[in-house]
Amino acid sequence: MAASGRDERAWVRRAQAGSVSEFEALFRAHWGPAYRAAYLVVRDASAAEDIAQEAFLSAVRTLDRFDRRRPFGPWLHRIVVNRAIDWARARALRPEAEAVDTPAPERPEHDEELLRELDRLSPEHRAVIVLRYLLEYTPGEIAELLELPRGTVNSRLRRGLDHLKERLE
Amino acid sequence: MKRFRAPNEHQARERSWEVVRAAYETREPVTWPRRHARPLIAGALVAAAVAAVLSTPGRSVVHSLRKAVGVENAQTELFSLPARGRLLVSGKGGTWIVNADGSRRRLGAYRDAAWSPSGRFVAAVKRSELVALDPKGNVRWTLPRRSPRFPAWTGTPTDTRIAYIAGGRLHVVAGDGTGDRAIGPAARVAPVWRPGPGRVVAYATHGKAVVYDVDGGRILMRTPPGLPQKLAWSDDGKLLLVFRPYGLRVYDSRGRVVLQDDPSDATHDADAVFAPGTHRLVIIRIHGLASDVFTGRNGRLLYRGSGALRQLVFSPGGRWLLVTWPTANQWVFVRVGRPRQIVGAARISGQFGGYPRAVSWCCGR
Repeated sequence: MAASGRDERAWVRRAQAGSVSEFEALFRAHWGPAYRAAYLVVRDASAAEDIAQEAFLSAVRTLDRFDRRRPFGPWLHRIVVNRAIDWARARALRPEAEAVDTPAPERPEHDEELLRELDRLSPEHRAVIVLRYLLEYTPGEIAELLELPRGTVNSRLRRGLDHLKERLE
Repeated sequence: MKRFRAPNEHQARERSWEVVRAAYETREPVTWPRRHARPLIAGALVAAAVAAVLSTPGRSVVHSLRKAVGVENAQTELFSLPARGRLLVSGKGGTWIVNADGSRRRLGAYRDAAWSPSGRFVAAVKRSELVALDPKGNVRWTLPRRSPRFPAWTGTPTDTRIAYIAGGRLHVVAGDGTGDRAIGPAARVAPVWRPGPGRVVAYATHGKAVVYDVDGGRILMRTPPGLPQKLAWSDDGKLLLVFRPYGLRVYDSRGRVVLQDDPSDATHDADAVFAPGTHRLVIIRIHGLASDVFTGRNGRLLYRGSGALRQLVFSPGGRWLLVTWPTANQWVFVRVGRPRQIVGAARISGQFGGYPRAVSWCCGR
C-alpha cells in the first residue's frame, strides 16, 4: 500500500486524536517495508518480527510527541535498522544461539544466492544496501538516518556492491 | 530487491498488529499543553542548571556531589565487602570467591560459576567440562560436555539439581553429577530456577522465555517473542523478569505482563534485578555518556555514573547493592536504605586478571 505524504500526515494526525482505523492504516502501510528491512539485516524471521513490532510500539509511545511535518517512514526505518544492526552484532557474539533460534524460511521465493551473499556482509554494510535498494533512500538520506558521514555511506555501498558483484558473477 | 518478500509476512503482520493495537488502545492521548510541557520544562531546567553551575555556589555543589558518589574517594583496592557473605565472580581471569574481609581465592580458570543453594559448593564450567568444586577450589566431580555455559544450582541440602546450557540445549543434572539429561533447545541465556518448592526452571528458546517443570516434564508458561537476554525470579517465585536492553517485562505465573518498562529511543538498559524479598525492580539505564541506577516503581535515583554501568548484584538481605562500573574500573557499593552511603573500590581488573562479572553474593557467613 503506497501512501502519499498528505495521506500519511492525515493518518498521523487522526491517530494522535485516537482513531484506531487511521493508526491501522499507518501500521499496514509501513509494516511490510519495516519487517523486510529487519529480516534482510538479521536473516531471522522471529527476530525481524520482534524488531519491527518493537519499532511500532515505540511509535505508539511517542505518537503524541511526533512532529507531523516530518515523514513517518524514515523515523520508523531508523529505529528498525539500528535495532537490527544491534541484534546482528549481538548474534555474531553468540553463534550457538543462532543455530538454535533461526527457523528456516518456509517459502524461499527470492534469490537465495543474493541473500546468501548479502549475509556474508557485515550488518553495517547490509543495512546501507537494504536502505538503498529495498527502501530506496538516497545516500544522503541514509547518512542522515544512520547519523553517518556521507562518505562512509558511499564507501559501505561501494564495498557491499563490489562484494556482491564479485561473488555473483 | 524491491520485489523481495520476507518469510511469513502476513502472519507476522497480523500477530504484530494485535500487540501494537492493544498498546495503542491502552495509551492515554495527551492534550496540547501536556504534549509540549516536557520540552518547555526540560529547557527551563537546563537553563537553570547551567546558570547554577556557572555560579560559584553552583560549582561547589557539583564538587560535593562528585565527592559524594565516591569517585574521588574510592579505595585503591577492594579491602572488604560492606556486608556479610561471599561474592562469586567470573571473567577472563577465572572464577574467584571474595570473602567479607576482602580476602580472595581463585578457584581456577572457569568462565561461569554458580553457588550451590547452601553456598557449600560451586558449579563452574570450563571449555568442555561442567565441574563441581568446594570453596577451596577442590574438584568434587566433573562432567564432560561440549561448550557448557551458565550453570544454575537449586534444591535442598540433600537433593539438588544443576541446570546448564550445552550444545544449544538446556541440560539438568543431579547435584552429584549423575542423571544428566537434555531438556530441549535453548539460547545462550542463563537459565534460572524458580525459588520455592518443586523444580521449575526458566530458560530462553526461540526468542521466548519458557518456564518448565522439570519433574512433571511440561511447559508451564511461554512468553511472547522478545529475545530475552537475562531472566530472573522474584524471591517468592511469583514473578519472572524477562530483561532486554530495549524493554523489560515482568510476568506473573499465568503469563500476564504485570510490569513493563521501555526505555525511550536514545536510551537502553544494561541490567535489572529484583530487590531481595520484594517485587521492586532496580534498573541500570544508559543515556548518552552517563548511566543511572534507579528503582523501577518510583524512579528513585540510587546512583549515577559517567560511562556505562554494567551489572547489579544485591548483598544477602538486600541492604547493599553492588554496581559494577567497567568504565571506571571500579565496583561501587550503594547502601540502599538510610543513611545513604557509597563505597567505591578501584583497580578491579588488576585484582582479578580482567574486569569480572559478579555472579552472586551468597549466604551470610
